[in-house]
Amino acid sequence: MSTQQPTDAEPNVETDADAESESESFTGTGLPRVEDHRILTGEAEYIHDVTPESCLHMALVRSMHAHAEIVDIDTSEAEDHPECELVLTAEDVKEQYNPMPTGIPEVETDDGVEPLEEWSLAGDVARFVGEPVAAVFATNRYVAEDAADLIDVEYDTKEAVADGMAAREDEVVVHESVGTNVIDGERIEFGDPETTFEEADHVVEGEYSWGRISGVPLETAGVVATYDDETDSFDIDCNIQLHTLVDDTIYETLGYDADDVRVNVPADVGGSYGTKIAIHRYCCLAAMASKELDRPIKFVEDRIENLQGGDMHCSDREYRMRMAVDDDGTMCGLDVWFVDDFGAFPRYPVNQVLKPLSVVTNSYAIDDVVYEYELALTNKTSQTAYRGFGVDPHIYALEMIVDEAAREVGMDPTEFRRRNLIEPDQMPYTLPSKNIYDSGDYPATLERIQEIIDDERDGGLLDPEVVGAKREEGKYRGVQPSVIIEPGVSGSDWTDRQRSDREELEGRSREEVAELPEHLRAELRADGTVRASLATDSSGQGHQTLVSQLLADELEILPSDIEVDYLDSVDAPTEYGSAASRMAVMLSGATVGVAERLLENAEELAADHWGVSSDGVQYRDGSVERVDGDDSLSLADLADIDADRDERLTQVSYNYDHPATDHEEFDEAFRRKFPVYPTAAFGANAPIVEVDVETGEVDILKFYTVRDCGTMLNPMIVEGQAHGGIAQGVGAALLEEFGYEDDGQPQAITLFDYLLPSIENVPEIEMEHTVTPSPYTETGAKGVGEGGMIDAPASIATSINAALDPLEIDEPADRIPVAPDHLRKKVRDADQ
Amino acid sequence: MSTDSTGDYDGPVTEEISVTVNGETVTAEVEPRLKLSDFLRNECGLHGVRVGCEHGVCGACTVQQEGRTVKSCLSYAVQADGMEIETVEGLAEDGSLHPIQEAFHETHALQCGFCTSGFVMATKELLEENPDPSREEIETGLADNICRCTGYQNIYEAVERAADRMEGGE
Ligand code: FES
Ligand code: FES
Repeated sequence: MSTQQPTDAEPNVETDADAESESESFTGTGLPRVEDHRILTGEAEYIHDVTPESCLHMALVRSMHAHAEIVDIDTSEAEDHPECELVLTAEDVKEQYNPMPTGIPEVETDDGVEPLEEWSLAGDVARFVGEPVAAVFATNRYVAEDAADLIDVEYDTKEAVADGMAAREDEVVVHESVGTNVIDGERIEFGDPETTFEEADHVVEGEYSWGRISGVPLETAGVVATYDDETDSFDIDCNIQLHTLVDDTIYETLGYDADDVRVNVPADVGGSYGTKIAIHRYCCLAAMASKELDRPIKFVEDRIENLQGGDMHCSDREYRMRMAVDDDGTMCGLDVWFVDDFGAFPRYPVNQVLKPLSVVTNSYAIDDVVYEYELALTNKTSQTAYRGFGVDPHIYALEMIVDEAAREVGMDPTEFRRRNLIEPDQMPYTLPSKNIYDSGDYPATLERIQEIIDDERDGGLLDPEVVGAKREEGKYRGVQPSVIIEPGVSGSDWTDRQRSDREELEGRSREEVAELPEHLRAELRADGTVRASLATDSSGQGHQTLVSQLLADELEILPSDIEVDYLDSVDAPTEYGSAASRMAVMLSGATVGVAERLLENAEELAADHWGVSSDGVQYRDGSVERVDGDDSLSLADLADIDADRDERLTQVSYNYDHPATDHEEFDEAFRRKFPVYPTAAFGANAPIVEVDVETGEVDILKFYTVRDCGTMLNPMIVEGQAHGGIAQGVGAALLEEFGYEDDGQPQAITLFDYLLPSIENVPEIEMEHTVTPSPYTETGAKGVGEGGMIDAPASIATSINAALDPLEIDEPADRIPVAPDHLRKKVRDADQ
Repeated sequence: MSTDSTGDYDGPVTEEISVTVNGETVTAEVEPRLKLSDFLRNECGLHGVRVGCEHGVCGACTVQQEGRTVKSCLSYAVQADGMEIETVEGLAEDGSLHPIQEAFHETHALQCGFCTSGFVMATKELLEENPDPSREEIETGLADNICRCTGYQNIYEAVERAADRMEGGE
């Protein structure tokens, strides 16, 4: 049941210690973060602060052409530079190492199966502007860049293709051996869409573009690689995301065993939002040189490298949407087709074209669905993940066609949406695409956001008088809410669907499904404090705080008695880690599990020590007591007793299984490798927009949002995630884009061209929460990391449509970002 | 000063500078092309000076020079010769946080923290000039810094809380 619960995320203003002692339970409170002190004082160590003595620095020579044959590379002048120690080209790399693993390693062609290889340095052909062609190693970054300038690359330029739709024509082919740019695609039908589309009263169609964007964290990619000659192994410090999962992209390229390549991520990473998952190229090149020179090698990407050739752009899609709808306002069928421009190589996160299946009809009950995509390669930098992982464009395109369908049947767009919402009594709700929404009252959420809007109509920002007066000035106000789902807690098994034989999947048994759990360790230390070790990395989400908060409650001690650190890729098992809105659920589940294990062991140890049965002891408030009241042992005592034992009972680990594995309802999705996301956080936004039809500028006057992510473990962090996601959604909707010239030259290579929202662009956000715990998770929490970025762009776009409704412009927000020149053109076209 | 005039390479041209950083005088031989941000980070070990773009947009490298905020990636160390610089490391006294730092902590005005030093320094200047800023004045005062994580909502809260706390002087 969903309850209205405006939360007070305000933390206690007294010192943390006071706040701790007054509080009964830490979980559920806005406990200020343990990460903050080191950051605020400048002591936090990010990757760019790691500079071992005697380390050399790498600089890269990058292609300035989008598509060119590399005829010759003259490295002699660079090698003569007195402070240059080494130059690497593709030739050196190919001699000793492997290509980098890709998301689609081979493609079926008429002549058989062709490998699609990507090397750390381009060999015969450069395929995008910014692709590294040579690597230079010198005493410091300044000199390394001097030496890189001395390298002379002779190119023979070729025609380039820089647009996904054009790439489908295969007039210019990015990888000649493969013979086509469309290297993956699938059409999946659910229900009986053909009949539905035939029989429906109306079929509406629309085309929508989602421009290429990315997370653009403030910290760029960085690495320090150190080779150890004696053990023939590597230590690689870097800010890669998912270091315990994607370390294979490093060790396989190097041709080493996982155990010989220790990937370690600093406790502080300056943001990632998915984008640092694919920075392995830098790690590999630094490692190769470290082995060659027997010295540590450091590299920190500069911003221009990052924006133009950092392998970190994300979804770049053209959609064709169709919706079948009846006169009475029933949405009967949905037909989704899109092409995603992946850039020059299909990097690991190719499955982001499939993630939208987890929310394929958003909050609407529609049974008959077609989902079809093509994954096209172009002469642009490769895509990686970004917050939302491909769901954000899907929801945007879907909400656009919903607006269009409402117009077609002549119904108020909010009423049209309300009629088609999944009802609370349908929960848990199985989508046609077999994922399941766990819980929630969507109509109530829509109703609440509508009340907020109605308040603004009564003397507020949307008061008819104000709206009318503003229109006289050419400023159009409007708002259009919808209920939008954030799929949480990705399973891992489905993620290689594109590397599986898809036909065989239909006959696959449940036993063949292999999921990755979340791993956590905890240990009692001699002084009675607890150390927990995470097997994931963090980039600002506050995982250390979250674990200390939960563990403090479970162990009945104070968060300040808990220290949380991180395991490297060798010490940690292969697991998924921090992505796909997983951590609130997976880490909280693992924390509860590890605490239980530690408590059981503490009791066993104490019982053993006193020679009594386990019934004779009881854990309470950080010590084990004898039930007869005779004695008690503190955590420090227990650590001391345990120190002499061979099998340590005060060092435990726990693997929290993916929550969907316990629920048969998910079996079909698991078997068929459809995206499994067992939590559905949801919300409805009301961004009140004002469009200036003279300039085409959109001002968001205020951003209301009503959200539900189940149990809130730390409301302060939950709200922070929503704020940040919404701000990124504002950037996506109105400002950001990696534009390209037709010849593949990138237009956004500085932060003057790629416009990140500043404090002036992000409106005041007013947030309310409801709390509908997830029935599937240990703590009732749902995934919450991506919501704002998934729902804000769609809500801003529908609100722009609503604002301009009186002008009868044909779908003003049919392209993201809705930039001023686009809107101006739309207004002009409508005028004519 | 050493030069490369003979044709035999004996290292780059350097110049001696002397800068007062967080109250201490640092004297060093630096290349004229050394950015002030790199000087502070690498020569002075002040890692709180973050580098996010090196072209003057993000504000992560913001420090105070002669009492005014500057983006340290946009100038050279030699230009700071003889000047006073304050970085975020100069704020906390005897281990206790400056009221601005405290306010950022309490209001959750930082996530990944990469922008935080810059915001704290920009807030310091803002409150020195205007001890009780309105929301609009905060917006203008912090418009030269980018935060990619927080959506700025809690940064307003932090500035207001710091202003309350600093009222009547530190
Ligand atoms: S690093 Fe100086 S403004 Fe970005
Ligand atoms: S906290 Fe990450 S950029 Fe501001």
